[in-house]
Amino acid sequence: MTLDRADEQFMSKGFASSFRLVLLATAVLVCFASIGVRLVHLHVLDRERLVSYVDQARRSVITEQARRGDILDIKGDVLATSRTVIQLGVDPQMLREQDREDWPELARLIGLPLEQLIATFNRVERVDDSGRVRLVRWAKLVDEIEESTYAAVLELGIKGVYGNRSYRRTYPRNQLAAHLIGFVNRENAPSGGVEGFADFYLRGQDGWRQSERDGLRRELAQFRNRQVPANDGFSVVLSIDSVVQHLIETELAYIGDTYTPAKASIIVSDADTGFILGLANYPTYNLNEYGRASLDVQRNTAVTDLLDPGSTFKIVPTAAALERGLVTAESRFNCSIPAMEWRGRLRKFMPDDHVYDHPLTVAEIISHSSNIGAAQLGMKLGEKGMYSAARQFGFGEPSGFPLGYESRGLLNPPEKWSALEITRIPAGYSISATPMQIHYAMAAIASGGELLRPQIIKEVRDDTGNTIYRFERTARRRVLQTPVAEEMARMLVGVTEEGTAKAAAIAGYEVAGKTGTAQKLVDGRYSNRNHVGSFVGFFPASGPELVITVIVDDARLPGRRVNYGSAVAVPAFKRVAEQLISYLDIKPTVAPPARPRFAMEGNRW
Amino acid sequence: MKKSASAFVSEFLVYLLVLTGFNGSVWLGTVWLRHQISETAQFTKQTESQLVAVERRLAETTARLASELSPETLQAKNHDMQLGLVRPAELHIVRVEESPEQRLAAKRNFDIFTEEVSTGESAVQFSFHDPGSR
Repeated sequence: MTLDRADEQFMSKGFASSFRLVLLATAVLVCFASIGVRLVHLHVLDRERLVSYVDQARRSVITEQARRGDILDIKGDVLATSRTVIQLGVDPQMLREQDREDWPELARLIGLPLEQLIATFNRVERVDDSGRVRLVRWAKLVDEIEESTYAAVLELGIKGVYGNRSYRRTYPRNQLAAHLIGFVNRENAPSGGVEGFADFYLRGQDGWRQSERDGLRRELAQFRNRQVPANDGFSVVLSIDSVVQHLIETELAYIGDTYTPAKASIIVSDADTGFILGLANYPTYNLNEYGRASLDVQRNTAVTDLLDPGSTFKIVPTAAALERGLVTAESRFNCSIPAMEWRGRLRKFMPDDHVYDHPLTVAEIISHSSNIGAAQLGMKLGEKGMYSAARQFGFGEPSGFPLGYESRGLLNPPEKWSALEITRIPAGYSISATPMQIHYAMAAIASGGELLRPQIIKEVRDDTGNTIYRFERTARRRVLQTPVAEEMARMLVGVTEEGTAKAAAIAGYEVAGKTGTAQKLVDGRYSNRNHVGSFVGFFPASGPELVITVIVDDARLPGRRVNYGSAVAVPAFKRVAEQLISYLDIKPTVAPPARPRFAMEGNRW
Repeated sequence: MKKSASAFVSEFLVYLLVLTGFNGSVWLGTVWLRHQISETAQFTKQTESQLVAVERRLAETTARLASELSPETLQAKNHDMQLGLVRPAELHIVRVEESPEQRLAAKRNFDIFTEEVSTGESAVQFSFHDPGSR
């Protein structure tokens, strides 16, 4: 009984009977209720406003910049690439006194005078346009520093100094192949060349991700909810060989220094495929300093500028007359007459430099570059035949070269020809063409009769190096039957053996080619002082591997000598060809040159 | 009656505390889990950043390497370091028509494949030191 009472007493003063405990429980419940009310307020009543605030303050879309693809030469050497550069700046409000001792080292690293750096650091306020004083939160120190320099800057640990990264296009070879590569300006807009033409492949696709930021604007990676990765641009592989390109640019620099021409071009292409191995113009410019070059210098004159092809055009009437069976290589023409009656009218020829004591064969017309002989071949073809042959060889139409603003040339239809033009056009006058058209007309003979499409892009690769697309040899049309092309090649060898370009002959190799010297039109008249000298050739003639064109516009020769093709272009052709023979290991075809013997080799040969 | 009501409240409070404790544990677990997710995401982000940084350095090195390998830089170095390197002329080139491996092997082993050895007319001779000369 006593126990029961004691239990009852205990129970009456039980856990819940305490007023304080009830109070505590009530307080807990009130707290929960308060939290509940607040949650309802935040999530239901004030939801719209708060969500929009959070969206503004925390959510962000971060763009991931795609890296522009590289431009490579045929050997994989980098001609254009993208790298990050850092624009370095400072927030003067965040600078600490304890970092002051590192300022001189920072100035040294970024190449800024210490006084200038201190002045920038100390400028903590500025006055805006409305006259209000504002705090400076960002002041630029240098436009561009490299990653390695930036890493060294960060190691100094100066609070408030930081950089913003951006991709910058860089051209490690400077002016090499400038007219082919083009450039990307500071707004990331491609201009000309492969940069412009292949921009679709090169530029890639920027990515983005939706995420959130904390109060210090740092990304909260766990809240990334959407992400589209950036696709880097493809790499474009050119048919250009850097060494070949360098050789011809060196040659052009030499021509420029020695003869100060108005302009000059050298084109080297593969005789079989038509792919360009090198193309250079004088003057040229440094791609990393494109802003300093005038638009004239940036122009790829090999495809934009027109000139009279002169005697290099004589291959057209000759080949066409052979192709149509109107003449043979041994057909003879009197090339010592000043004029000739044709279609009832006397047509005056352009005079030749030499007087011939015998009628010239077709082969001799080519080797001696007779204007009178070429005119008679043109007459054999007739106006329409001559026009048709020129069109067949690609004159008067774009060659299809993909870069730059190619000119189609100037070739009037026969209805617009004057009475004299049947004597002028076969000699390469009254017609205008680009160096590229002249080059590929000769290349049509070297290829065995097919007019090839000039190509510069070999393939497109993705960022892992896999080939996405490969460009193949493309023939525009067949111009000559192969036997005729062979006959032409044989005749053109005569030019370097006994004709106007003996200086182009290379021991052990059959060099076929044609010189050209065209008077320039100055103020509507053909000038006797201003000439375009050229030489277009290929070798080995029996199995052509390379086609080389050298065109020098208005070279200044010592003693006011005329800029004949043989004076400047032919020696340049030979120098380039000899270097390419050793670089590309082109085997001799005639007879091996005398084998050198070196003391170190003893008699072991 | 009073006793049973108190007991019920007591019991209710106990359950409430247990429930609160359980919920608290669950929430703490959730917070810990979210923290771990955050840590992992942050680690992934840092790794990505490192990867991007490596790619950036690689691009910079590639550009610098390409620049150093450019013909004009090499020519300048050739000049500055007075190396005297010149392009080979045709005179310096010997065109090898046969297999280069066989040719090199023949050159290397020229001495042991002389006519005397191969015909056996002259045996290989060894020259020993005279033991007494030491």
